[in-house]
Amino acid sequence: MSNAPAPGGKVGLRPQDRLATLVIAVLVMAVAVAAIIVAGDFPPTMLETDVGPARFPIIFAVALLVLCAILVFNTLRAPAAPPDDPAQAEPKASYGTVAIGIVATAACLYAMEFVGYAIATPIYLFGLMWLMGRRNVIANAAIAAVLTALIYAAFAVALSVPLPVGSLFE
Amino acid sequence: MYELDMLLHGAQALFNQPMALLLALFGVTLGIIIGALPGLTATMGVAILLPFTFGMDPLSGLLMISGVFFGGIYGGSVTAILLKIPGTPAAAATAIDGFELTKKGQAGIALGTATFSSFLGGTASVFVLIFLAPVLARFALEFSASESFALAVFGLSIIASISGVSVIKGLISGFLGLLLATVGLDPMGGFPRYTGGYTELFNVPFIPVMIGLFAAAEAFKSLEDPQVRAGMAAALDRIIPPWHMFRRQLGNIARSSGLGIIIGMIPGAGADIAAFVAYNEAKRFSKTPENYGKGELGAVAACESGANGCTGGALLTMLTLGIPGDAVTAVMLGALTLQGLQPGPLLFKDHADLVFTLFAGMLVCYVMMLVVGLGSLRFMGRILQMPKSVLTPCILALCIVGTYAINNSLFDIWIMLAAGVVGYFMQKWDFPASPVVLALIMGPMAEANFRRALSLSGGSYDFLYTRPITAVLLTIAILTLMLPLLRRLWAQRSPGGPTTINPAAGSSRMGTPE
Repeated sequence: MSNAPAPGGKVGLRPQDRLATLVIAVLVMAVAVAAIIVAGDFPPTMLETDVGPARFPIIFAVALLVLCAILVFNTLRAPAAPPDDPAQAEPKASYGTVAIGIVATAACLYAMEFVGYAIATPIYLFGLMWLMGRRNVIANAAIAAVLTALIYAAFAVALSVPLPVGSLFE
Repeated sequence: MYELDMLLHGAQALFNQPMALLLALFGVTLGIIIGALPGLTATMGVAILLPFTFGMDPLSGLLMISGVFFGGIYGGSVTAILLKIPGTPAAAATAIDGFELTKKGQAGIALGTATFSSFLGGTASVFVLIFLAPVLARFALEFSASESFALAVFGLSIIASISGVSVIKGLISGFLGLLLATVGLDPMGGFPRYTGGYTELFNVPFIPVMIGLFAAAEAFKSLEDPQVRAGMAAALDRIIPPWHMFRRQLGNIARSSGLGIIIGMIPGAGADIAAFVAYNEAKRFSKTPENYGKGELGAVAACESGANGCTGGALLTMLTLGIPGDAVTAVMLGALTLQGLQPGPLLFKDHADLVFTLFAGMLVCYVMMLVVGLGSLRFMGRILQMPKSVLTPCILALCIVGTYAINNSLFDIWIMLAAGVVGYFMQKWDFPASPVVLALIMGPMAEANFRRALSLSGGSYDFLYTRPITAVLLTIAILTLMLPLLRRLWAQRSPGGPTTINPAAGSSRMGTPE
């Protein structure tokens, strides 16, 4: 994905992949720096023979910083990939659909806190099926209801694992 | 031979108790279902059934629980292979190559191989339990904190071999996982680290992160391509692997089962660690290591035989020493005690008839697992015939419910969602998710045992090289970590080596070894 082999055996980075790799590396470095700063506030250990709660997080964060620096260096040094052949180009990814799917999942979780599993899940399933191109309203509604019931039967009925009831119905 | 005679007597006694056999079958079937469902683990299955065993005779109760244990470990592979949802932590290793095989249209062979490998690994471990228990129990006692630390480091060194196309990106994922693993209570002093005041974060939310990184990320990915959204997934091909194909895996299965048995005996190490270690060793011994991570049948065979080999190993120390090898056997220890049986050397003397009948029953459980597993695969494979536009929402709903089931916590589901989003971006830009999961399993074990070992040695680091098992494991770990780098250097120096190296990937992508 990020560094597709180009014709002729050469490999290189597309501009968008180079940018994405750099952004990820910088974000991870930011997380590592934050981890080191927070670890500075951890209390020292009372045991003389212990290294304390901060030692391991700091070691891991420093290793992350070094590795990310290597990745940034390698990414900047990598040759550019030749332009894509339109005939062999991959179908364009629909990031909008992914974003809607993620937002729908977050909305389902938020709704589940209030209305519970039994109401939030079929609506969520129906919405996702619609998002993925299924336009038959009746069939989608029936499938959503059946799937919700099957999952409920497997977890709540057969295995006695409680599912969220929702604060409105508690 | 005493053990063989007792086993035959035990088998005779077992077949005179049809109710015990029926309950074992029930346990195995329930275990497979529990293992296949995300969020529900073998530990949870055993814990759920434990109260029902109170009123049963010891053999029936213990066999039912053993059935859930064995079925639960195996069941995780089914959804890992078909949907990239690891039903159990051990199945996270199986998912790496299992799901790639499904994408290649070889789901049936992958599932069949997983079933046979689980059966062989598990059966071998029960035989070891029967015949070598007293000898191996002494070896298990050699494992103290320093050896457990070295084992965890050895496990972590596997990151290099499961990194996919880029070792640097794999190591970044691994260290990110290690940093994540420090979230929660400090293992020595109990100080909360990076919890932000949330009590839910006092323990690392390992399973929600795993479900998010594997299953939710994959589901989000299938939302992005219009052709995938509209398409049908592949149908299941033949299930029983051809003999010429499976025969090549027998050595791999034997080695992985052995590793699983040894790891199972070590307190604190379970099927998840065994699966990853077996994966690494299978890759190391393979003639085609470059195929690992791209859909290699040997990887599935290794992970499953390793994970199921763990079952006998974990039971071995539990029955002979009263030390549970993992969480499931800790619950089983409770079941034994409730039945009035005291695990330890005397168990084999005072209750020899029951113990060997139980062993015979365990072997029967594995035969049942093979039969039920193979019988249900065609039915389970129908999942693949569902349109993606129905399957993907169903996977996401299962991720939500499965995550909630772990602690009855909505907070965990938010963690799962966050991990899913992160996992989606990681997948897009070739940052492998498996090292994160491996680090979450091994990280806490490494830190806790290192600090314990340091305290036990009075603050001296001598334990790193004075204890033979520790020194050997640490040496192997360093070699494992350095191997990809050495291979890459060797390939560059040798005539006809790679002409182009992708610096960002940290490796060649043109089929040359790293």
